[in-house]
Amino acid sequence: MEVKIEKNEDITTVKFKGRLDTPASQEVAATLLPIQENAAGTIILDCEELEYISSSGLRIFLSLRKAAATKGGKVIVKSINASIRNVFMMTGFLNLFEIA
Amino acid sequence: MNKQYSLSKKILRREFWTGMLLLVVAAVTLEATSLAQFFFTQKSVTEIASKRAEENLENAKVDILNILNQVETAIHNDIWMVRACLPIRDTIWKVTEHVVKENPSIVGSTVALVPGYYPDRPLFSPYSFKDVETGEITHKTLASEGYDYPSKQWFIEGLTHEEGFWSEPYLDVGGGDIMMTTFSMPVRDYEGRIAAVITADLSLDWLKSVFDDVVIYPEAFSMLFSREGQIMVSPVETLVMHNTIQEVSKQFTDTAAMRDFTDAVLSGKSGNLKVHGKKSFSHVYFAPIERTGWSMSIVIPNDQILGDIRKHNRIIMLFQLIGLLMLVLILLAAHRNQKKYKKLTENEEKMEQELEIARGIQMSMIPKTFPPFPERNDIDIAATIVPAKEVGGDLYDFFIKDEHLYFCIGDVSGKGVPASLVMAMTRSLFRAVSSHEKSPRHIVNVLNESLTDMNENDYFVTFFCGVLDLSNGHLRYCNAGHNTPFILTDSVKKLPIVSNLPLGIVPDYDYQEQDTNIIYDDALFLYTDGVTEAENIDHKLFGEKRAETILHTRRSPQDHLNTIYASIEKFVGEAPQSDDLTMLFIHFTNESLRNPSQWRLVLRNDIKQIDRLTEFIDMIAQKTGIDPDLTLSVNLALEEAVANVIQYAYPEGTEGEIKVDASARKDSIRFTISDTGQEFDPTATPETDISLGLEDRQIGGLGIHLVRKIMDRVSYKREDDKNILTLTKTIRKNNGS
Repeated sequence: MEVKIEKNEDITTVKFKGRLDTPASQEVAATLLPIQENAAGTIILDCEELEYISSSGLRIFLSLRKAAATKGGKVIVKSINASIRNVFMMTGFLNLFEIA
Repeated sequence: MNKQYSLSKKILRREFWTGMLLLVVAAVTLEATSLAQFFFTQKSVTEIASKRAEENLENAKVDILNILNQVETAIHNDIWMVRACLPIRDTIWKVTEHVVKENPSIVGSTVALVPGYYPDRPLFSPYSFKDVETGEITHKTLASEGYDYPSKQWFIEGLTHEEGFWSEPYLDVGGGDIMMTTFSMPVRDYEGRIAAVITADLSLDWLKSVFDDVVIYPEAFSMLFSREGQIMVSPVETLVMHNTIQEVSKQFTDTAAMRDFTDAVLSGKSGNLKVHGKKSFSHVYFAPIERTGWSMSIVIPNDQILGDIRKHNRIIMLFQLIGLLMLVLILLAAHRNQKKYKKLTENEEKMEQELEIARGIQMSMIPKTFPPFPERNDIDIAATIVPAKEVGGDLYDFFIKDEHLYFCIGDVSGKGVPASLVMAMTRSLFRAVSSHEKSPRHIVNVLNESLTDMNENDYFVTFFCGVLDLSNGHLRYCNAGHNTPFILTDSVKKLPIVSNLPLGIVPDYDYQEQDTNIIYDDALFLYTDGVTEAENIDHKLFGEKRAETILHTRRSPQDHLNTIYASIEKFVGEAPQSDDLTMLFIHFTNESLRNPSQWRLVLRNDIKQIDRLTEFIDMIAQKTGIDPDLTLSVNLALEEAVANVIQYAYPEGTEGEIKVDASARKDSIRFTISDTGQEFDPTATPETDISLGLEDRQIGGLGIHLVRKIMDRVSYKREDDKNILTLTKTIRKNNGS
């Protein structure tokens, strides 16, 4: 699992690559903690190269989304593949996120 | 006190009159039903009689035409010989001799030449005939004896009927008054001129025997008339060949019907009509035999058709009346003397005691020790019969012989002592037959034969019989109209069944056998309709669905039966049990017959081990050809379930194992996740509401939610201090289908 974070003024882009499974999520959660604490701007979760996501990965997304909501920011999920879209559908995430 | 007494007397009197009223209503209804039934039966029985009569007429016609055809064919075949012999006229004898000699049914034959065909012999007609008794053949010329053949009907008609003509029957005065008929047809010479008429005389002494078979009721009879109404066959021998239908008709009172009948016979019609006599009437069925112009008929007196039904109906009505009369008497007696009520109750108690003993005997016949084969580890069985109030007719049985498990379940129609006797008989027969018979089909066929033979009371038995080869899991079974058993593999399904007929109904019925293979951990659940038709006070039935739902969870055989029975009891509530309730659960546990598509992965309680799980799933997907999308989903569900165990089952800092067993079938894949950690049932957690908005959404609970969404079945059990979670997914293969 690789995570790249790019900051451009108040837009933060997080690029995921590989499988965001339970063990990977533990590390990624730690990596993204600063972003979550400072979620006033726009956060783009770029999923173009994300192959797989488990509930622990979804929890990271949801935590970011909640933090952004309380701090006046927003979260955009970008380029999810079909199987991840399916997971989003099963969990009701399609309604919680702005999907681009 | 006194007041109370008179009040109860009043109530009693009112009950008495209500009872009487009900009886009168019952009597009227019963008798009306019998009458209605009588009329409907009468109609259909008459229809059947008419159909049989018509069929018999048709059969007789075929028999007669068969013989006539033989004669016609013989003559047709010999015409070329006559033609060839015409130039040398004395050789014609050879033809007539040949015809008589070669055809047993032809007693005489002539070739009668057209007058003047031979200028030197105005009339020439060589005739050969044989003695019916000795078979000796004699020759003569008809013309020489002053017999003026050109004026005879057979000659005149023979000249003009190219296809041949059958004469009116006649008595052969010379040959012992035998009834005869003559077939004649023209012969043309090589120039195409009609040269002669060839004939064959046919004795008709066999006719009567054809009609002997036609008679279907003792007093019915048949008749045969010629083209001109001559009586050819009749039960009154003196009429034969002496009287005509026209003469006989005049003696009947029902002149209109007889006129119609005579017309129909003479004009060669078929149909039926009724001829009325003094008291009753007869059905007359008639049909022509084309070519000969003959007409056959069958006469059946109406009383013959309805005789038995009338008698039965009278008996039934009489019995009903007697029964009702007895009820009236009982009611009267009971009303007069309440002590008799008490006595009746005592009798009832005595009867119940006897039934109790009968039930004891009945139950002692079936295997009741569970587990029945503690020394074996390849099979586990549990069974139970819960009899209704009376002794009933349910049965089950099983035993092992030569490494084959023989088992059966059955339900005898009806209740009480007679049903339980049939049940005992069925069970003994099952044991006796299966001791030397390995095929369920043969077992069931023999049982059916025996039960049909002994079946005087119209009992029947729904029955299911199976023979399981314990060494290889091959299961052969035969179903005789019994409830379809469930088979528990990765899923719970009904066993594919040809329902066949219950035992004891149709002798010689050939039952169909089926077979399937079962493997380690498969199970069968057999039951009687006492399970599915258990009724609660609202008359709702327990049904198959409720049982099936229980079977989805994995349990031991005895646990299954206990759970289902508890569920039935809860469902039924206060309603009385109306029928025997029988269940048989067979669990096949032959370890050597594990599914070849089985894999196991053992993990430590370390979250990093999830990578190994992913490899494991990929390996299975590759071996079974599951498509990539489904693989991802299955992987996700497994990861959620396993990660949950890894993170929470064992206390922080302690080590523990998680086993993942997978087995793939044709249409499903099953995962069993087991651990020895603290008890936790993920299926008991509440459903996650995914429709909630952001503020209300909980961060947790998504894992088990995904497991439930992705898998088709999720079940949990706690056994031997282990958490055992079973996940099943229906699969479709990569390769198209």
